[in-house]
Amino acid sequence: MSNPITKDFLHFEDLHVGQQVDLGKTKVTKSMIKTFALEFDPLPFHIDEKAAKASLLGGIAASGYQTGAIAIKMALKNFPGTLASAGGMSITDLKWKRPVMANDIIGGTVTITLLKRARSKPQWGIVNLDFDIKNQKNQTVMIMTLNNLIDVRNPEIGLERHHDHVV
Amino acid sequence: MTMWFEDINDGDSMELGQYCFTQEEIIKYNKEYDNQYFHTDPELAKYSHFGGIIASGWHTACVGHRLMVDEIKNREEAMVAEGMIPGVSGPSPGIKKMTFMQAVRPEDCISYKLIVTSKRASASLPGWGLLFSTIIATNQKGKQVFQSDVASFSKMRDFKPTIKQRFAMWAVKIPLLKKLMKK
Repeated sequence: MSNPITKDFLHFEDLHVGQQVDLGKTKVTKSMIKTFALEFDPLPFHIDEKAAKASLLGGIAASGYQTGAIAIKMALKNFPGTLASAGGMSITDLKWKRPVMANDIIGGTVTITLLKRARSKPQWGIVNLDFDIKNQKNQTVMIMTLNNLIDVRNPEIGLERHHDHVV
Repeated sequence: MTMWFEDINDGDSMELGQYCFTQEEIIKYNKEYDNQYFHTDPELAKYSHFGGIIASGWHTACVGHRLMVDEIKNREEAMVAEGMIPGVSGPSPGIKKMTFMQAVRPEDCISYKLIVTSKRASASLPGWGLLFSTIIATNQKGKQVFQSDVASFSKMRDFKPTIKQRFAMWAVKIPLLKKLMKK
């Protein structure tokens, strides 16, 4: 049952609602934007200067998918320990509020907003991680909530202890 | 979509094509963006409940987006070749819900499809509409692996701005007036 890889990782029992992690800083350079866009989002306003100037965004801007990819990367890197994740289930209420322009520096926070156990799957809990990604002007550029499964260290106990959150 | 906002109807759909994930690519993406053992290490991944390496859900979403961009580009080129003027797509303001139903594993071939579910005029951008679409991804066994309910801007062909809107659109092009308007 127990997984030797994750035994020292952060389990459900190690987390609490309200816990917040600072995501550090990532400078999103023009070359990063173009590289990502050529692979996943080759729209002219991510790649071509002229087209970008004429677009709604007014200059080379990162793909929203790149902002999300960097957000997940920063969360994994800056969490105080490795999460014993059992996989993501869904992402809800994702909003790209502002464009991330070339050379913007993004950071922000991820906050645990929900922890609950499921009777049908005692080995896992559900953790909701709210991402608030900001630029260097402290303006929010993207928000999303990641609903993730996380290993429970002691599945046999705790369904009672965490009864408030059992679904 | 390649059509103008006015010509798009609920239920319109577009096959976006198929993509086969390789282990090499899965590892490459995850080492950069989703560095977890069941995403990056085929041996260690055996200890996870997945029993092997799987793609990042976000990677699955990115690939679907790429296929959509390519399909739209192909259709636009075909329309231009026939002397038609394709509609204009804008950026996406967000995704209501993205669900990862099944693991995507190396050698899985995933087919993506987009279905328009509703549309309305944008309240914030005159001359643009909002399309709400669902992207559905299915593996080679016919099992749905992924779904994304995405919103996107689409330009209106027949938009006639009011005098006030016309002034606003002209004014934002002049930096000083733009600043004054923000105040």
